[in-house]
Parts: sequence; C-alpha cells; structure tokens
Amino acid sequence: MLSIVGLSKRHPGALRPLFSELRFAIGTGEVVALVGESGVGKSTLLNCIAGLELADAGEIRVGPDALDMLRLDETARAALRATRIGFVFQAFHVLPTLTVAQNIAIPLLLSGVTPAEHPARIESLLLRVGLAGFGPRWPATLSGGELQRVAIARALVHRPALILADEPTGNLDPRTADEVLTVLLERVRDQHAGALIVTHSQHVAQCCDRILTLTPDGLE
Amino acid sequence: MTTLAWWLIRAQFLSRRTATALSMLAIALGVSLGYAIHLINDAALADFSRAMKSVQGEPDAIIVPRDSAGHVPLALIDEIAGDESVALVAPVIETRVRLGRVPTAVKLIGIDVFSAALLMPTLLPREGAATSGGIFDGGLYASPSLLDDQGLRVGAGATVIRGESRWETHIAGDLPAMAAGEALLVADIAWVQAHFGPREGVGELRVRLMPGSHAEAWRAVWAKRLPPGLDIRAAADNAARISNISRAYRVNLNVLAMVALLTGAFLVFATQLTAVAQRSTQFALLGVLGLPPRMRLLQVLFEGLAIGLPGSALGLLLGYGMAVGFTRVMGGDLGGGFFAASTPTIAPELLPGLGFFILGCGASLMGALYPAWLNRIQPLAQALKTGFAQRPPGQASPAIHGRRLMLLAVAAAIPLLISLPAIDDLPLAGYAAIALVLVLGIAAAPVATNLAFGAMARAALPAPLRIAVQNVLQAPLMAQVAASGLIVSFALTVSMVTMVASFRTALDQWLDAVLPAPHYMRSKGLPLPAELLAAIERPDAPFARIERMATGSLSLDPRRPPAALLVREIDRADPGARLPFTGAVQAAPEGRITVWVSEALQEVHGLRTGQALHLPLLGRDVEVHIGGVWRDYARQFGAVVMSTGDYRALGGRFEVTDLALWPRPGSEDAARRWLATEAARHGIESAESGDIRRISLSIFDKSFAVTYALEAAAMLIGLFGLAVTLAASVWLRARELATLSALGFDRAMLARAVVFEGALIALVGLALGLAAGIAVGAILTHVVNPQAFHWRMPLHVPWNQVLPIALATLAAGMLASRFAARQATRLPAAQVLAGAQ
Ligand SMILES: Nc1ncnc2c1ncn2[C@@H]1O[C@H](COP(=O)(O)OP(=O)(O)OP(=O)(O)O)[C@@H](O)[C@H]1O
Ligand SMILES: [Mg+2]
Repeated sequence: MLSIVGLSKRHPGALRPLFSELRFAIGTGEVVALVGESGVGKSTLLNCIAGLELADAGEIRVGPDALDMLRLDETARAALRATRIGFVFQAFHVLPTLTVAQNIAIPLLLSGVTPAEHPARIESLLLRVGLAGFGPRWPATLSGGELQRVAIARALVHRPALILADEPTGNLDPRTADEVLTVLLERVRDQHAGALIVTHSQHVAQCCDRILTLTPDGLE
Repeated sequence: MTTLAWWLIRAQFLSRRTATALSMLAIALGVSLGYAIHLINDAALADFSRAMKSVQGEPDAIIVPRDSAGHVPLALIDEIAGDESVALVAPVIETRVRLGRVPTAVKLIGIDVFSAALLMPTLLPREGAATSGGIFDGGLYASPSLLDDQGLRVGAGATVIRGESRWETHIAGDLPAMAAGEALLVADIAWVQAHFGPREGVGELRVRLMPGSHAEAWRAVWAKRLPPGLDIRAAADNAARISNISRAYRVNLNVLAMVALLTGAFLVFATQLTAVAQRSTQFALLGVLGLPPRMRLLQVLFEGLAIGLPGSALGLLLGYGMAVGFTRVMGGDLGGGFFAASTPTIAPELLPGLGFFILGCGASLMGALYPAWLNRIQPLAQALKTGFAQRPPGQASPAIHGRRLMLLAVAAAIPLLISLPAIDDLPLAGYAAIALVLVLGIAAAPVATNLAFGAMARAALPAPLRIAVQNVLQAPLMAQVAASGLIVSFALTVSMVTMVASFRTALDQWLDAVLPAPHYMRSKGLPLPAELLAAIERPDAPFARIERMATGSLSLDPRRPPAALLVREIDRADPGARLPFTGAVQAAPEGRITVWVSEALQEVHGLRTGQALHLPLLGRDVEVHIGGVWRDYARQFGAVVMSTGDYRALGGRFEVTDLALWPRPGSEDAARRWLATEAARHGIESAESGDIRRISLSIFDKSFAVTYALEAAAMLIGLFGLAVTLAASVWLRARELATLSALGFDRAMLARAVVFEGALIALVGLALGLAAGIAVGAILTHVVNPQAFHWRMPLHVPWNQVLPIALATLAAGMLASRFAARQATRLPAAQVLAGAQ
C-alpha cells in the first residue's frame, strides 16, 4: 500500500536534513506505529507522504499501482489524496458549518462516488464507529471523542488504500482514546487498508502490528 | 464537486448574514443607479424624438437661420424647389405667442397645408362643425391638450399676442392626430407671417428629396450654396443635440453609479478576505482531503459570484423601480431642466439590463479575486497548524520594491492626466486621474500604518496598547484592508462635499453679482407686452431705474446647442458694473460692435479677450470685438452679451423680454403691489432677487441631493468594512487573546487594546482619505467640471462639514471595534485554547 525509498527532507534554512534516505513499506491491512522524540520530523514525514509538503528526494509510492507522489503535480497529488489516502488529525478538524453526515460525505464528493451510494455508505460507517443516528447533528454538539470518530469515518468512507493519522488520540482522555483507537484499528483492518499512525503513547504503539522509531539518524 | 461548493456557499452565507446582505445591497445599488439613469434618459430621449417627429415630420433636410432674429428668404424656397432632387419643400414659421390672458406661452406653427399634408400629417387640422369657409381661412387650430387645459372651445374667438403684435381670430378646429400632452397651435403660414413676421421670409424650410437621392450628399452641396446666415441640418441632428445637452449630467451620475459598484466590489473584497482568513483551516483540511487546488481559488470566486448574481438581479429591479419613481417625481431630466416637463414612459430594456447585470457580477468577482488568490496559495500543512498566512511566504521584498516603483509611476501620471483635454466633451482623463488618486491613497495605507504604528511601538505604552500595536506591525494586512475601505469612502465623501461646497459658494457669489436689482420681470421666450412696457415708464410707476434686456439665440456650431444672445441696456464703458468678469476687460474700440462672452463659450470655442469673432446676427455674418469674458452658471451652452446701442446699430429690433427694476426709495411696497397686479394682468413672471436666489440655490441643492445620499452610503460601507475586517482580525487572534487572558489580562484590558487598534486604524484611514479627498475635490472642481460643464470656480473645503464627518466616523469606528472586541473576548478562553473548532 505504501513504499518509500531514499526519502530525504530538509526545511529551507535548516542546518541539517530532518531525515535522509528513509526506506520502508507498509503492506495491505498492516498498521504501523511511528514514534519518536518531539521535533524529530514525524508530522513532516506524514505530510510528505500525503503530498502536502514536498520531499527533496526519493520515491513515495501509494496504492496498488504504486503512483509516485513526488512525480505528480499539485492537482494530481490532491486527486491522489482524494482517492487513496485518509487523514486523521490530533485536532479533529471537523468542519463546523457542515453536519456530521455532510462532513463524512466530503471524500465521497471529491472522489466522485455516485450520490445515490452516499447515504448507505455514511450510515453504515456511522454505525460501525458507534455514532448511529448522528448524521444530521452539528459538530458543535459533539464531544471530543465523538468528533474524532467522525474524523475516522471521514478518513475511511471512500475506502482509501492508506490511512495517515497524526496523534489521533492526543486530545482525548485515556478511556476515550482507547475506544477511538479500537474503532480506528478495526475499521482499517476490515477495509484491508494500510495505516501509519504517529503517536506518543506506548499503549497505542503496542496495539499496532509494527513500530517504527524516527530518530535524527534515521528509522529504527 | 458542485454539491460541496454549494454547501460551502450556503454555510458561508448563513454564518455571515449581515456582511453578505450588505455586499449584495452595495452591488445592487450600483447596478440600479446605472440602469435607472440609462432607462430614464432613453425614455426621455425617445419621448423627445417622438414629439419632435410629430411636429417636424421626417424631412431629409432642414434649413434654418443661425440666429433667432434671422429668417429664410422667400427667394430660397423657389431656388430649392427648382432643384431636380427635391420632391417637396415645406415652409414653416414657428413662434411663441400668448393666447388672450392665458398666462403661459404657447407654440404657434404656421404651415402651408399642401406641403404639410405630405410631410407633417400630424399637424393637419380638422374643421370644427360651427365654422364656415375653407380650411385654414384665417383660423387657429389647437391641439386637444391645449383645448382641454385652457378650457377653450372650437368656434370661440381668440386673441393671439406677441410683443406689440395682436391677431384677433377664432379657434376654427382641432388637431386630431396630435399626441396627448402636446400643447400647440397651428395656422396658415401666410396669416402667421402677416401678423408676427418674419417679413421677407419664413422661419425654416423642411425638404423631402426624390426617392433614391443621397440626402447627405445633397445637404453637403447645399451647405456651400446657402447664404451666410443659414444652416442646413439632418432631422436626426436635433435628437443628437438634445442627447448632447444631457450628456455631461448623465456622465456624472454614471460616475456615481460606478463609485457605488466599486464600493460594492470593495465590500465583497473585505467580506471574502476575512471569510478566507477565518476559514483557512477549513480550506486547508479540504485540501488535505483532496480538494483540487484550483477549487480553492474557484470556491472563493463562486462565493463572490453568489453575492453578485442576486445583487445584480435585485439592482435591475430596483433600477427599474427607481426610474419609474424618479420620472414621476422629477420628470425625464431628474430635475436637471433639460427636457420639457414631460413624464416619459419607462420600459425595461433587455440588452442594457444584461450589460449592467454583467457589470454587477464583474464587480463582485473583481472584489473576490485577491482573496481567492490568497486562498489558493495558502500552504496547506502550515495553515492547518497555525491558521491564515497573510503574506505568501518568501515574496515580501521584491513585491515591496515593485510597489514603490508602481506608486511613483502612478503619482507621476496624475499631473499628466490633469493637463489632458476632454475627449468629446467628456473629462475622461480627469476621471482616470481621480481613480489614480484613490489607488495612490490605498497604496499609501501600508506605509502610513507602518509609520503610525511604528512610532507607537517606540513609545512607552501600557501593555494592552503595546499588544495592539505589535499585532498590526506583525500582521498588517487586515489593518490595511480596514484602512483602505475608510480611505476610499472618506475620500469620496470629502471630494463630493468639497466640490458641492465650492460650487455652491461660487454660485452664491455669482448670484450676488448678476442680480443687482431688487425686482425682475420676464416672459419666457416671447417679448413682453407693449402695454406693460408703456405702463412701466409712466411717471406714476414707482420705479427709479429700469434696465431692459432682449434674449435670442445664435448657433456658432450646428452640432452644439445654440448659445444665448442677451441684448442689454448696459454701459459700454463699464460692463463690469453688470457682468462678473473673470479677467481683464478691454475697453470697446470706438465704432466697433463689442460683445462680452461667457466662460462656457470661451472654453468651447477657445476665445480670447480682444480678439475678433464672427457671429451670425440678423441673418448676416457680423464681425464683433470680444471685450471680456464673464462667469455664467446659468447658461451651460454659452451666452453673448451685447449692448442695445450696438444691436440697434446693426439694425436689430430690440424686443424686450426681461426687466430689472429698482423701486423708488420709500415706495418699495407700492412697487411690489404694482408688479403683482401687472404680472397677473399680463400672465408673466415677476420675482424679487431674494426669491430668485433662494429658488436657484434650492434647485442646486435638489439636484445634488442624490450625491448626499450616496455619500452617506459610502461612509456606511466604509465603516462596515472597518467593522468586518476588525472583527475578523480579532477573531483570527481569538487564540492569542485567550492565551493573554490566561496569562492574567482581564477582559477590559483586552477590549481596550482592540478599541485602541481600531481607533488608530481609523485615524490612518481618515488622514489619508482626507488628503485624497481634497485632491479628488480639486480635480473635480478644476478639471472635471470645467471640461464637462465649462464652469470654473475656486476650491472651497468646507471644514465645518468635513471635520464633524471625520469625528463621527472615528467614533463609529471605535464603536465598531468595541463590538469586535466584545465578540472575541466573549468566547470562553478555555474553549479557544483547547482549539475546539
Ligand atoms: N515550515 C517549516 N519550516 C522550517 N522548519 C520547520 C517547518 N515545519 C517544521 N519545521 C521543523 O521541523 C522539525 C520537525 O517538525 P515536525 O512537526 O515534523 O515534528 P514532530 O516530529 O511532528 O514533533 P511533535 O511530536 O512535537 O509533533 C521541527 O524542528 C520544526 O522546527
Ligand atoms: Mg507532530
């Protein structure tokens, strides 16, 4: 689902590269945890994989036919995200002016799924993340844990090949964090997607199939 | 994709109802104003042409004397009729008369019934049942409106009076084909000539050519063969000349419409910019989810269009309503006095409507352009983390350098534009200069905010104020946007107020100079009755001094409306006692005819004091000497003053139309009573100079009332822009403010900081707006007005109006920022800090 070869990135003006010559892969249905000290470049790596930031060198191949993110222009990268990548953030980022169902429908609209299919897909996902009946509600009326489950549903609804999550439980209390993580892992596995989850939590890392540690010298 | 775009537009409108509604209204205002002016003018012109056509027919050529005392000689009629291309020649005499004691002047048209039957069928009379004898046998035929309005009856006797001439006759029938609203009399041309002249000729010739002849070529040939006192014209020239008359006035109103549209564009700009800033994380998220980058641009443009489309549609409706309403209240010239007091029928027009619709949508798109671009270039990852970036990263220095160069170029272009002449009587270069001044004012905003806030930053300030200053210095975009709105709206207000005040002051002084006598009497367009003139000279009349004047017209350029000829009892040695000269007066050389020309005539024809000028007078070409140039705010198309002595020396008949009267000391009341009785008896106008002055100023105020309304609208829009942008900038800093309050600042302190910031921004905007406004006012008074109306006047900045407006704006600006501060500090700090979306 994801294969990375020789990836290097240095921020403009920085003295030394954040990382160089990174190499790893994530297979179908595999959930990988990415850990490392603060400021080491975990979020930057995720951004590079999603094509939000450009790496300096290397290859990032996403999806079954392994399109190289670095060879694509901005529009094609956006299209790739729309069809193959789901993103979950620490700060939820649920649009406050759209209802829960509308928020979840965004990736469907962007990836061109026929509108007739939308309600069924959204309903079944809401059911599976434990938010049955939440569709018409406004985000402002939801708790943090519920919002993050909306974000997870939104990341999965278009059946992406790869899920990227940046500290998805960082803003939640331990019990809610557990519930949300369980939902995320279950859904990723039953959609046979790959996932890369950045986390500071030992517990979260333990729940994953594999743990990668980013250090200034590379991946361990 | 469209579903998503629609959701976002709806969400945006719902969450920012006031801003959206006001932007829409501003666009609607601009569109409606432009459309209304267009509809009214078109209707008035159509009305005029229709009336023209009904009395004039549709001749291929019209031959007219160049001055009102001239005539077409009878010999010419035969000569033209003998031309083998000519099918028909219709001689006509048009004059104005009074009918018995009816207090208004009526148009009397003398026609030859045989030629008129073919060329001007609407003028053909119908014989009344009670009359005997043949058609046109010494009788009058009245239009139905005239019969109704004056309560006249077919068969009744009638006295037709003009100056010393009287004609006792009867009303023999009516004019069945005449449209309603047209008040006129028709009689046989021979009878009209016998009673009212001209003696050796007729008033004009209307010529119909043989089918297949080339009218333009024919006119060109005859233009060379005609005697000097005559002009040859196409019938359509009349309508064109009328359209010329109202053009300058229309152009100015259209500029106001443009201003309204531009302020609309600015509101869309402020609204969309703040909307983009507020939603930067949302757009970044959508980008992460795969929204194509171009959609980030298009979405903002769509939103602009979503304001422009309904705004423009509303504008068309409003414009139609306005046109109908205005013509009902003020007539087809919006009170400008160019068309006769008719109420034209307004019909909606599709193509111009579409044009204004597109203009409205274009304005709102223009306003959305920069915000859309800013939205497009936001770096996604960064926007998600820290929100809106006001400046595209890594672009600062070359852009600033380029901007300085551009500013210099703009500043250099202004004096150049001001010195350019009008194009086709339209002060286009002047308008461009005004636009550049506004651009310069806005472009100076960053420099001025930096200067003001930089100086503040160095001063020792209490902590809250320091925070406000620091904020603007770090993120100046919002402050600049807020300031620009105020700059533009205040500049427009100041310039309009300045222009109007300069004009009014000048008009006031001018009225003093041109109304020396306490009483005036006049009879619009026809000579005063001989009886009255005799009575006024009798020893028992209570007047110490009487000055007489005769008015006529002369045409120096057939494409322009004719200039006025004023023959006055004026002292040739001291014309300055009666005329407000703009420069030196040259003594009249002995034995030469001397005239004093008005400023408008001087400007249009490039005349100089002391030069010789050829004028069409009494059907001849007469060389006169220009003794001086005087100011005239009454006759836009120019006037020539000549002494009665000179006019008589040329052989002219001095037919008095106006009187200036000085009562004997002590008999002021007697004079007033005397005039009232005589005026009522002869059905003519009499007025005291104070009344004329009051009426003139009130007409002036009325015709500028529209501009006051627009100024108020502009100020509101500017203030609103300030409030929106301040609120948005505070909102963007909600997290920062919450952090500060967590660090121990209380709400009042934070609110004070925001109010202080608003006041400082408003001050910068007002200062720049004032400077730009005075500059624009100066361009309007010294460049645009002289070019459009040929009226010059000294600049007069009415500080007693400008300063209160500035203070009120400042206060309103502080109120707006207080409101913004309240909104921001009301959010619970904890929630903001937790980053809840
Ligand atoms: N736009 C940027 N320009 C320059 N340097 C940057 C930029 N963004 C991030 N950095 C630097 O890159 C480094 C890595 O940042 P990144 O956000 O990837 O860290 P992280 O591993 O996610 O840390 P954390 O666990 O605290 O979230 C940091 O030292 C940061 O200062
Ligand atoms: Mg991070």
